[in-house]
Order: sequence, then structure tokens, then C-alpha cells
Amino acid sequence: MTHLMILPVVIPMLAAAWLLLNHRASIGRQRVWSILSTSLLVALGVWAVTAAQADYHTYWLGNWQPPFGIVLVLDRLSAMMLLLAALLALFCVLYASRGSDREGSHFHALFQFQLMGINGAFLTGDLFNLFVFFEILLLASYALLLHGGGRARSRAGLHYVIINLLGSALFLLALGILYGLTGTLNMADLAVRIAAANPDDQTLLKGAALLLMVVFGIKAAILPLLFWLPRAYSAASAPVAALFAIMTKVGFYAMVRVLLIVFGLDSAQPLNADVFLWLWPLALVTLGLGAIGILGAASLRTMAAYMVILSSGLLMASFAMAEATVLAASLFYLLHSTCLAAVFFLLADLIGRQRAEGYDLLSVTAPLTNRWLLGTLFLVAAASMAGLPPFSGFISKAWLLQNAVSHPKYLWLWGITLVAGLFMIAALSRAGSGWFWKPEPYTGRQRRRLDPARVATVSVLIGISAALALFAAPVMDYMSATAGQLYQPSAYVEAVLGESAMANGGHNP
Amino acid sequence: MELMISVALGILTTCGVFLILRARTFSVVLGLTLLSHAVNLFLFSMGRLTTGAPAIVGLTPDSADPLPQALVLTAIVISFAMTAFVVVLSLKAAVELRSDHVDGENPNEDRP
Amino acid sequence: MVATLAPLAGLLLLARHWPQLAADDPLIATVQWIPQLGLDLSFRLDGLSWLFATLITGIGCLIILYARYYFEGKASAPRFFILIQLFMTAMLGIVLSENLLFMLVFWEMTSLVSFLLIGFNWSNRGARRGARLSLVITGGGGLALLAGILLLGNMAGSFQLTEILAQSDTLTNHRLYPLMLSLVLLGAFTKSAQAPFHLWLPHAMAAPTPVSAYLHSATMVKAGLFLMARLHPALGDTELWFALITVTGMITLMVGAFVAMFMHDIKGLLAYSTISHLGLITLLIGMGSEMAMAAALFHLVCHALFKAPLFMMAGYVDQATGSRDMQLINGLWRWMPALMLVTIVPAAAMAGLPLMSGYLSKKMLFSESLLVTAPHWANVVIPVWVTVAGLFSVAYSVRIFHNVFFNGKPRDLPIWPPKKKPAMALMPLLVLAGLSLLVGLMPQAIYDHLVHYAVMATTASHLPLYDFSALADAHTPAMMSLLAMLAGLAVYAARKPLFAIHARLPDVDAKDIFETVMQRTIRFSQTLVYQLENGSLQRYLALILLTTVALVAWSLTGLEQWRGPVPLSDLDPLVVFGISILCLSAVGVVLFHRYRLPALLLLSVTGLFVTLIFAWFSAPDLALTQLSVEVMAVVIMMLALSFLPQTSPRESRLPRVLRDLFVAVAAGSGVAAFTYAVLTRPSNSISDFFLTNSVPGGGGSNVVNVILVDFRGFDTLGEITVLGIAAVAVFAFTRNLNLKHRVAESGHSHWVAEPHPVFLQVVAHMALPIALLVSAYIFLRGHNMPGGGFIAGLVTAVALTLQYMAGGLAWAHERMRTQFRSLIGAGLLMALLTGMASWVFGYPFLTSTFAHLDWPLIGEFELASALMFDLGVYTTVVGATLLILANLGKLMTIAGPGKEIG
Repeated sequence: MTHLMILPVVIPMLAAAWLLLNHRASIGRQRVWSILSTSLLVALGVWAVTAAQADYHTYWLGNWQPPFGIVLVLDRLSAMMLLLAALLALFCVLYASRGSDREGSHFHALFQFQLMGINGAFLTGDLFNLFVFFEILLLASYALLLHGGGRARSRAGLHYVIINLLGSALFLLALGILYGLTGTLNMADLAVRIAAANPDDQTLLKGAALLLMVVFGIKAAILPLLFWLPRAYSAASAPVAALFAIMTKVGFYAMVRVLLIVFGLDSAQPLNADVFLWLWPLALVTLGLGAIGILGAASLRTMAAYMVILSSGLLMASFAMAEATVLAASLFYLLHSTCLAAVFFLLADLIGRQRAEGYDLLSVTAPLTNRWLLGTLFLVAAASMAGLPPFSGFISKAWLLQNAVSHPKYLWLWGITLVAGLFMIAALSRAGSGWFWKPEPYTGRQRRRLDPARVATVSVLIGISAALALFAAPVMDYMSATAGQLYQPSAYVEAVLGESAMANGGHNP
Repeated sequence: MELMISVALGILTTCGVFLILRARTFSVVLGLTLLSHAVNLFLFSMGRLTTGAPAIVGLTPDSADPLPQALVLTAIVISFAMTAFVVVLSLKAAVELRSDHVDGENPNEDRP
Repeated sequence: MVATLAPLAGLLLLARHWPQLAADDPLIATVQWIPQLGLDLSFRLDGLSWLFATLITGIGCLIILYARYYFEGKASAPRFFILIQLFMTAMLGIVLSENLLFMLVFWEMTSLVSFLLIGFNWSNRGARRGARLSLVITGGGGLALLAGILLLGNMAGSFQLTEILAQSDTLTNHRLYPLMLSLVLLGAFTKSAQAPFHLWLPHAMAAPTPVSAYLHSATMVKAGLFLMARLHPALGDTELWFALITVTGMITLMVGAFVAMFMHDIKGLLAYSTISHLGLITLLIGMGSEMAMAAALFHLVCHALFKAPLFMMAGYVDQATGSRDMQLINGLWRWMPALMLVTIVPAAAMAGLPLMSGYLSKKMLFSESLLVTAPHWANVVIPVWVTVAGLFSVAYSVRIFHNVFFNGKPRDLPIWPPKKKPAMALMPLLVLAGLSLLVGLMPQAIYDHLVHYAVMATTASHLPLYDFSALADAHTPAMMSLLAMLAGLAVYAARKPLFAIHARLPDVDAKDIFETVMQRTIRFSQTLVYQLENGSLQRYLALILLTTVALVAWSLTGLEQWRGPVPLSDLDPLVVFGISILCLSAVGVVLFHRYRLPALLLLSVTGLFVTLIFAWFSAPDLALTQLSVEVMAVVIMMLALSFLPQTSPRESRLPRVLRDLFVAVAAGSGVAAFTYAVLTRPSNSISDFFLTNSVPGGGGSNVVNVILVDFRGFDTLGEITVLGIAAVAVFAFTRNLNLKHRVAESGHSHWVAEPHPVFLQVVAHMALPIALLVSAYIFLRGHNMPGGGFIAGLVTAVALTLQYMAGGLAWAHERMRTQFRSLIGAGLLMALLTGMASWVFGYPFLTSTFAHLDWPLIGEFELASALMFDLGVYTTVVGATLLILANLGKLMTIAGPGKEIG
């Protein structure tokens, strides 16, 4: 039990509380604290990924043994999500520190709260605690979405908030059912008790599982629960939207965790099979809608929002195939798609600032400065997003499709994914040619200086996506082991509750 | 008793959901509050209903299930924070969108 | 000049490997990249790849040389050279890959570079559209190829060519062979511009001429042919192979040849001619016999050698005269005699005149076409078909030569007289024309030493050399050739009326079709997306609720018994009364929701009865919390209501109301059903642990409070964080809220700002110290009796709020100088540091410790570390609640945004 495990929650909270306490500090100071905290999180993420390769790590909060106290569990999945979130956050906070953080109050404190919520959701092994962290990350995200003000943000924010409040209510209902029938909240303990429940109780528990699917589906963006997303994401300021790229993944994470561990222990007749039955078609339609939305998008931000939807659809669909190899590939795709979606939100801002008019609207042809540099960045990002080699998009898509072959229904996934790829090529080439080829050279009098720090941030993020392709082999090994671990829920249960838990049918006080 | 509670929760939920689906932010806030009452009572009742036995050690021989109570307390606080937030947000939206309709005066005005 | 070094070096390297070609085994070099994917950096050099690589580097050298003059004095030259080198690398990658996935990497790279090169002159609208068209078609083909190759690899168990080529039987008998072959061929056809995917190629001619000559004639478009030839040993020799490839080839051959005839643009003519020749080679590959393959590869070399110089000629003329329209460009021989002389050879080769390379390859085609017997229709149809196509090819070959250099005088050329270029600029043309001539003169030697090894690689067998002397003796092919030639000349002679007829045909432009299709698709997508995502929250919510209800209902269909084994407990009249009022007030809220103040009052009644239920069912802590929260929530909503319209308009139509009612009733029944089902089932909770350990382990007898601050203190930490964020968020987004544009319907007086009754002020002032005392009491005893930091914080906040409301804004402003945000931060820090303190003693975060103390008046209580934690909770709650209220109050001031509060 190492105290390092709780730091991903403590550090951002400490930073946020400190920033509130000293809320009169200059913006420069605030940035320093915020960047410092986020960098520490990256280091912790690296530690977590290394540590998780050995075994599960657990942390008993208040030194109360599970299932009575709250337990944090670090496994491969949570470690990789921690690292991903921290890295992404670092780029977002760096980008925001170039000026967008001044557009409203308390950006950095809220940002740190957001990270606290995300990290807590990744680490916790207790379902109610997951609810609490969800509320933290949601409330912080409401605030960040509204950051900067303006009509579009208010409207999108109101919708986003109300929908998620409904989601929270459903979450509590599901929690109630689970507690009412099993008397516990710890995920491992729940798993054991659910597997041992009598068939009639299991039917009720299945209802709870589907409720949870809806709750996480709202966050993870799955049809028909996702319509709040395009406006919310395109209204948010660039670094916030880029950070939101991880938010749908939190929903995905929760779904994987709950469905595979909590509802997946009974290997003969796992309850999650019925959820997958529904998830599969819904996810495929989501994937299709994402592609159509990308083609029909009017601005790059909206396009990026639909990219998020598309990647959610692909993730969910491959997850619904319920095979470890496919899950491994979809986790790899998760890394790629999160980075790329963030890149596109940042690029939209970066390019928008250099254009004479129209910001990131696709219908406007406006001269822009630094055509070369921005064009190259866009080209690389677009090629990677559309799945053209040699970038991570190609690698991840190829691996996903390849691993899916063993599933009887794989042709559906193949067909829709490939057609979606074609749509993406068409849409992105149209956008690129309209922005970088069509306009006259920039002659505006007013000098629009390209901010080198912003460019560097985006470039490095794109570079990470390229590195992901270059060093894919070790990453893929990690993902395969992660997926394998997730499909071994009994190992998780034993790590949390102790060796004898499986035999005893859960922990009896 | 159980049946009565069930029906009451059903009615609370029905009222809450119906109000959430109304068009004005104020009704939606009313609905959310009713719904959170329903959900809190639901979670609370999941510890089964016991009368006259608060979970205080040494007070009564029997004791109600304290865990759902703690959970509901947390949930109440969170839903209070959320309600406060959404009330102020709906004020802001009403001002900026020139209407207290949940979609504002014209939902498509900001559409690019 | 430097740019030519790379391909030259490549050429030399290839030449060094030439002697090894005779050996059976290909050279293979592998470096592992992603073993999980089966993707390795793996190269292969055998006869086929050697031939292609030689063509690519050889012609590449000459193209770069040519481009040096073409781009003379243009700023865009460096970009061209970078891209062309990139392209050459990619192309070499395709032909030298041993691993099919690795090949695909280069395959898509050529599509991408081709896109950039076609759009090279980006200010030209046609160039941009042509580039996008080509990317969508070839990129789409690439995706199909990806699918095909993945299937292939899955069937063969590897992406290494060596292994795939060895498993012909397994592959062709596989259940999915048809699907896989179709996907692979889709990739090949799109790349090699086979009908109907040929549409992108003519529009690729917007690229600079060196690009057209290199990518869109000599190399990239041959990649599809290369792939087919490469996979022929593994996938070929089936009926499907024959049917798909041969028929496609035939159609392409004819369409290309026919349309080329009518092109007035030199490059357009050459583009369609290229399409036609690609079709011809495809046709030969489809036939699949060893000799047909020999003919295919031989023609491929010939085509590369004669088409590239013709393109260079076109570029030369274009730059010299400023036009490529053959209706204007006539009789140039006077001004460009050298160019004319050089062009004779490739043009003659393209027409297939005797002694020329094209003649031989065409004759090979004719003779092969006679040998096809497999499907019975083929042995008549194919020979006739190829002869007719040959006719057109003669006609357009004559046309390009005759029209450009003879046929009267030039008309209205943009640049006149033609610009001269240095003689060296003709050098690459000369070399290629010379090579073309050489092939025609000594075919046997060329074939034996260069092409034969490639043919061996594509048929995976040892076969005898192609006998050109036998070809010379064959009569029927010669007759077919002659026929085609004469008829072709006849057609050319009759071109004027033919053109006139053609001009009357509707003008179809693939770019326009593509644009229209794109626009339609985009508009369709837009409409669809707009209709789905229409900005209506009500619809989104209804969708979510309906989904939930449907899914849960579906899952519960299998439930056998709703009612569990536990007997129902008795009804208490008091409870019946309370619950009835609860339900009635909730229904009342719905009925009166359009009259807002009554609705709000009814809502607070509901809240009150919820409190009573908590109290009745042994949850005093909950009751206290609910009560204080209720007070605060109602205060906040009252404040907000003073600002909003007092009534809601009647908006929902009856169907909408019925729909919502249905959703609501369904959701309500669901909750009721779940409650009933669970409550009648036995409970088996972990709570006994808390009851047992609360005093010995947590140091408090109020188990709920101990759970909150100790057993599950982490939840509480999260909970106060939520409260803190909410307050800060409210502060942040109301800070710059401009209230000048108030809601139109409002018009209501802002009672908060009005003077206040004196008696309220007095009561409030007197109440404050008492309230503070009460909250201190609640706080301190919380660990053992109902109470605790949270409730105490709320009581304090309520008391302060009362001051605030009683005293009026100005009064409150004066006194509320407290930094609420700091207070929140401090509270959170306090809780957090309490948790961290346990590290010092080597325990996990939030581990508690306690000691008993006896205080006068309050009695014995434990001084637990949890107390510090609870103090943090208290501070945060006070700070957060007051920050929200203060900022909400600030909105009420008529003056609009004042200075920051909190």
C-alpha cells in the first residue's frame, strides 16, 4: 500500500484549494501552480503505468478494510487512463496559459478540480465513490464549459447540466437497487454477490446494469443519449474542449469497469451479455452518426465534436464484441482518438486565430497567415484522424479491425468503420483545401502573430500521436495485458478482498 | 407500508419527470428537485424501513441501517449544490438568451 | 540536380542486384516493427519488384531532369522536388515491400502525395477539386484494400508475401475468398483508374506536367497493376479472378480509347489514352496465362517508355505556347522541329506502328486474345473487342502527332511566338524515345534480361522465354493489327463530323458530378444532423428517458416474481397521512407549475414531508440535513423567482403533454416497482460492521456521522469539494453577467433591494448569536448525537442569510467583507491536511485517531482527528453557501454588476 496511489486525487485538490485560498494571486502565479500540479500528475501517471505492470495495487482509505471502507484500486487500465488524462491535461493547461485562462475567473482552480474528479473516477474501487467523483468532474466541467461566457456557452451549458443531473439521478437509482439487493458498494464485493444472487434477483440487477449503461452512455456519448454533445463541445473554449476529449472516455472507462468487473464475474452466464446485446447496435449507429456529422459539420469545432462521437461509437462497438483481444485494440484506439480529438479542438482555435474572418467556419474562405505551418499541422492531424498510414490512426484502426475478425458479426464493424473513414477523408480534404488552398495570400494590414507556444503545444501533441505509431509494439503489449486483466475479474476480486473472498461468496461481516 | 412507500416514490418520480420535460427552466428546476427527493428517498429506503431505531450506538437495541443514511446525506448535499448551480445558471441563461425557455428565444441562433 | 542523385543511387543499387535475379529466391530483409499487428519493415527484391523499381528510379531521374527546366524560375520548385522525392520513396516502398500491410502504408502515402501534387497549383479551382476527387477515390480504394489485406492476412495467417504466395489453394478455396478478392481489386482498380473509377485520372491532369508524366502515367497508376501481378500466384487462376479483372479491363480499355479520341486537350487525350492502356494491361493480367502475363509486363514497360515522353512533349508545348488545346495548337513543326522529331518515336509506338515497341506488345495482346478459350464467349468477343480498341488508339495517336505538329497553322495562341527552351530540356525526351526505339528493335534481348524475371515472379513457375520470332510469324495477329491501323486512319480522316457529333453530346464533367454528389451528401448530412440535434432540450431528455424506460422494461420481462419473501410491515396512520400529503403536494407542484410562487410553496411542503419521513424512519441526521438544505434551497429559489416571470405560458400541446405523461408514468412505475421488489426481499448488508466498529474504531456513537467523517470520509471530502466547486462556479459565471437586458416579461419589483421591516432586522440581529451558538453545539456533539459539521455549517449560513435579507443589500455589503472563496479554500485544505496528517504516522490517507475529553456544559465528547476534518467541512459549507447567496443577491441590485463579492 503506497501513498503515491492517492496523490493523483490529492495533488490537484491541494492545488485547487490553494488557488482558492490565494485567489488574489496574479494569473502568472496561478499558472505556475496549475502547471506544476499537472506536471506532477504526469510523473505520477508514468509511475502508475510502471507500477501497474507488476500487479494490482490497493489503497485502503482511513485504513478500513474493503468492502467496509473505500478502496482505491490501481490496475493497468486505471494506470493508463491516469497517464493519458495527465498528459492531455498538461497540454491543455499549457495552451490555456497562453491567454484563454484570462477569459473568466478561476480557470486553474476549476481545472484542477476537474482533474481531481477524473483521477478519482479512474482510481476508485467503490461504486458510490465513483458517483461522488463523477459529480466532482461534472460540476467542474459545467464551470469550465461556461468559462469565458457568451450566449452559446450558456445555452449549451444549461442543456448539458440538466441532462447530466438527470443522469446523476439515474445513477443513484441504480446504486440504490444494487445496494438494496446486495448490501454492499465495493465493486469487487458487488461482483461476488451479484454472481451468487438468485436468478430472480439477477433479473432486477440486470435492470440496474442497464440503468448504469444509460448513465455512462450519456457521458460516453452513445446514441440516442448524445445530442447534447456537439453544441457543448463546440461551444467550449479550445483548451476546455480539448480536455473534454477525455470526458467521454471516462464514461467509457466506467462502463468497461462496471460491466466487466461488477457484472462479469459469473463466467457461465454473465449479466453483462444482455447489456452488450443493446450496446452493439446502438454503438454502430453512433459510429455512423459520427461519420455523417463530420461530413455535415459547419465548423472545425463541430467536426471535432463529431469525431469524438465517432470514436465513442467505435470504442463502444468494439467493447460490445466482448472479447479481450478486441478490447485491447480498442484501448489502443482510445489513446489515439483522445489525443487526436484534442488536437483538432486546439487546431480549430489555432487556425481560427490566424484567419482574417470566420474563425473556424468551413463555409468562409478567408486569407490566413502562416499557411504553410498550419497547413502541414492540419494535414498530419487529418491524415492520422482519417486513418491514413503511417500515423497512429492507421495502426489503431488496422489492429482493431484485425482483432475483430474472430467475432461472428465483425463485418458490420468493418463496413461501417471503413465507410466512416471515407467520409472523414472527404470532409477533411474539403476543409483543408478550402482553408489552405482556396484563399488568397494574407494581405491584411493588421498583423496576426502566430503564437509559437501554442503551435509548439499542438505540434508536440501531434508528435505524441506519431510516436504512438512508431513505438506501437510495447504499447500494444501493455494493452493486451490490460484487456487480459480486465477479463479476469476474479483476480481483481482477490486483489481487493483477499484470497478467500471468492470461496466465501463475498465478505460477510 | 412497503407498498405505500413504493407508490409514493412512483408518484414523486412521475411528477418530477413530467416537470423536467416542461419548457421553462423554472419548471425544470422544480422537477429536478422533486426527482432528487424521490431518488434520495429511494436510496434511503434501500436500507429497509425501520422506525424508532436511529443508528446511534447504545440508544436502542435495534438500529436502522446507517450506510444508506450516510449515502443519502452525501447525495442531499450534492443535489443541493447542483440545484443552487442550476438555479443561478438558469437565471444567467434567461438573461442572455432573452427568454426563460430552456432553449432560449431561438435555439439555432448560435449555430454556425 | 542534387535531386537526381537519390534516384541515380537507387538505380545503381538495383543494377548491382541484377545478377541475383536469376536465382530463385527473392532477397528479403526484415526489421520488426509491430509484431502484434503483423506489420514489419520487410523488404523483398525479386524480378517483379526489380523491374518496377528500375522503372521508378530510372524514369524518376529523367523526370527530375525535365522538371528542372519545367520549373525554371518558379518559386514553387522546392516544394515540387520535396514532394516528388517523397513520392518516389513511397512508390519504391510499394514495390519493394515484402509485408502487405507495410505496402499499404506506402500505398496510402502515394495517394496523399498525389493529392498534394494534383493540388499543386492551388489557386486553380479545377486543381483543388481534381485533387479532392482523386483523394476520395483512391483513398476510399485504399480503405477497401486495407479490409482486403486484413482478410487476406487473416486467411493466410501472415502478411508476409512469401507465406501468402505459398498458400494459393487455401486462399482460393476459402469461404471469404470472393469478398477478399473484391476488396483487394477495388483497391487496385481505384489506383489504376479502372472504369468506373477512372474518373479521377483526367482531372489529375491539373497537376504540373512532370507530375502527370511520372505519377499519373508511368508509376503510381501502375501500382494497382503491380498489386494484381504480385498477388496473381496466390489469388489468380480462378473464374472470379478472370471475370472481374478481364471484364473491367475490357471496359476500361474501350472507354479510355474512345474518349481519348475526342479530347482536345493534349493532356486530356494522353490521360484517357493512359486509362485505355491501363485497361489493356489489366485485361492481360486477368487472362492469367503465363504468356498473357509476359505480354502484360512487356507492355507495361513499353507504355512507361512511350507515354512519359509524350507527356513531356505536352508540357513543353504548353509552356511554350500557353495552351494545350489541339484546336488552337497546329503546325508547330516549323517552330519546334527538334521536338517533332523526338516525338515521332513515342507517338508511333503508341499507335503500334511496325518496328515499334507498341507494335510488338499489341501483337502479343492480339495473339493472347485468340488463345483465351475458358468462357466460351471470350474467344470471339475479346479479339474483336481489342481490335476495335486498337483502332481508336491508332486514331488518337495519329491525332496527337498530326494535330500538334501539322494540320495547318496555329490559331490565337496565348503566347506567340513560342518560347524557346534550352536544348538540354529535350534531353530526357530523347533518352526515353531512344529506349523506346531500342525495345522495338531488340525486344528479345530486353525481354530476356529484364522482363522475364518479373514474369517468373508473377507466375511462380519456370517458364520458357517468350519467343518473339514466333510472334513475327503469326499471321492472324498481324492481320488484326493491320486492320486496326487502317480503320484507325480512316476514323482520324473522318474526325471532323465525328467531333461535331461528339460536341452535341451532353458535356459531362466528373468533377462537377463529384462536387454535386459531395454537396448533396453534405446537405443531406447537415439536414439529418440538424433534425436530430435540433437544440431542443425537451427532446433530448425525452429520448434519454424513453431509452431508459425501454431498456429497463426489456430487462425486467424475465422477472418471475415482483414480490419477495419478506412480509409487509403494518401501515401506521400517521405515515399514511404524511405520505399522502407528500404525494398531494408533489402533484400540486405539477398542477400549479405554471403559477410559480404557489408551486414553489408546495415544493417546500414536499421537502418538509420528506424531512418528516426521514425523521420517522430513524434518520435524525438526514432529517436535520434535509431541513436546513430545504431552507437554503427555497431561499435561493425565491431569490431567483423574484427575477423570473411569475407564470409560465401554456405551451405544450395535448399530444406533447400525453407523451410526457406517458414517459413520466412509465418512469414512476419503474421506480415504484423496483422499490417494491427490493423492499420485499431480504437484506444482507455490510452495515453491521459499522455498528460494531463505530465506537471502538471511529470514536463516536453516531454511526452515520462516523461513516461520514471516518469510514467513508473520502466521500465527504468529495461532497464538500462539489459544494465548493458549485460556489466558485457560480461566482465565476455571474461575475460579468450584465443585467441591463433583463427578461422582458419580468417587470417585477426587486423586493430584496427594498427597505426592510424594522422588526425583521431586530429579530435577525438577535437571532445571530443564538444561531451561532446552536451551530457550535450541533457541530461539537455531531460525532455522538445527530449533528455534525455539515448541518452546523448550514445553520450558520442560514443565520447569516437572515441577516443579509433583513438588513438589505447595502447593509450586507458593508459587513460581508469576508473572503468566502478563501474560506472555501481553507475549509478544503483543512479537511485535506487532516487526511494527509495520517501519513506522518504511517497510515493511509484519512485514518482517524481520537482521545476522550470532558468539557463542561457540552459533556463528554471525543476529540477525534475527525473533528478537524469536520471543521473543514463546516468551513467549506459556510463559505460555499454564502458565496452562492451573496452572488445571487448581487444580481438583484438594480445597478447591475457591482464589485466582486466574496
